[in-house]
Amino acid sequence: MSAKPQPGKDNFTRNLVIGVVLGVVLIMLVPTIISKQTNSSAKVPANVSAERGYGIVFNGELTGVPVLDVYEDFQCPSCARFEGTQGQYLDSIIEDKKATVVFHTLSFLGPESVIAANAAACSADEGKFLALHKMLYQTQPQENSGAWTNEALVAAGGSVGIKSKAYEKCVTNGTYADWVTNVQASAAKADVNSTPTVFINGKQLDRNAYYDPALFIAAVERG
Amino acid sequence: MKAVMPWLGLAARLTLGGVLLVAGFLKYDEVDKSQMAVRAYEMLPVSLANFIGIVLPFAEIGMGVLLILGAVTRITAALSALLMVVFVIGISQAWARGLSIDCGCFGGGGQVEPGTANYITPLLRDTGLLALGIYLFRYPQSKFSLDKSPQPQSLEKGI
Repeated sequence: MSAKPQPGKDNFTRNLVIGVVLGVVLIMLVPTIISKQTNSSAKVPANVSAERGYGIVFNGELTGVPVLDVYEDFQCPSCARFEGTQGQYLDSIIEDKKATVVFHTLSFLGPESVIAANAAACSADEGKFLALHKMLYQTQPQENSGAWTNEALVAAGGSVGIKSKAYEKCVTNGTYADWVTNVQASAAKADVNSTPTVFINGKQLDRNAYYDPALFIAAVERG
Repeated sequence: MKAVMPWLGLAARLTLGGVLLVAGFLKYDEVDKSQMAVRAYEMLPVSLANFIGIVLPFAEIGMGVLLILGAVTRITAALSALLMVVFVIGISQAWARGLSIDCGCFGGGGQVEPGTANYITPLLRDTGLLALGIYLFRYPQSKFSLDKSPQPQSLEKGI
């Protein structure tokens, strides 16, 4: 290596390197941008509404009741805490038709979030979304530890009474993978910057109401 | 001093480039999080923030590699310094407005529990990196660089 100035040295190598670096970066970037676009022809599970950000909707037909949009990721520990604190109440207002509840199953925490959200969508087809939802949070493993595989998610479905072959196929094939991307893309458009995030009638819930049953119920009833 | 400066330039290139490369590498396959991190600064329209959230990790990787190899050092250093200025502004405004966010510098990002946000560490780090970027912009000549060595007198003249 010569430190002496070489004014006449050809810059061919440098320019080639620049070209290769920029080319490789672009080749990586473009597919990433495309893969994050909403795919309007994606297969969607039961009770999903594209107008409601591809969320899984309960009591969508009701009018004059509060609308709750719940954004969560199955791998997010705070979401498990939220489900543990408010899950029963959410189930009861769905059961008693006191509110429209839309679950947005995000997948930003990684591959195991994607397959968990896909499995949840498969369970919606079986009418068992709420049961599997609760089960997944109760048995939530460490983030991306490898505990959630398609086989494990089929088994989790079995433990809440989903025995059908269709569910197994749906989980194993990742039938709703494109839909999972759409849910995430729509949450990005809705400016959701942490999980859990709850909107009540389009207004973001105050941070300290998430883990306080009294405050949460009050906020829902206020509408 | 004159003999030392190319070595200082090499150290600056490897530090700045290395940090950028690592930062980009930790984010490029988790762009959902990266988008969330950019949105959480609440500085840009949501659609623009989402776009930057995807592009930024790749830009960091590209700039990092070019700096480490010492290709177009001067321009890359200027871009890096500019990026650091943007980061410092972003973090400062989040701090001043009392937002509770993770800087998302090396992955992660988004809102965090109130009171747990740490702004001083990323601010100091980015200020240091900004200084390296400015140094390399002013004195781009360095050891083991792919750039053609400039005329001997340009080192004394600076800019």
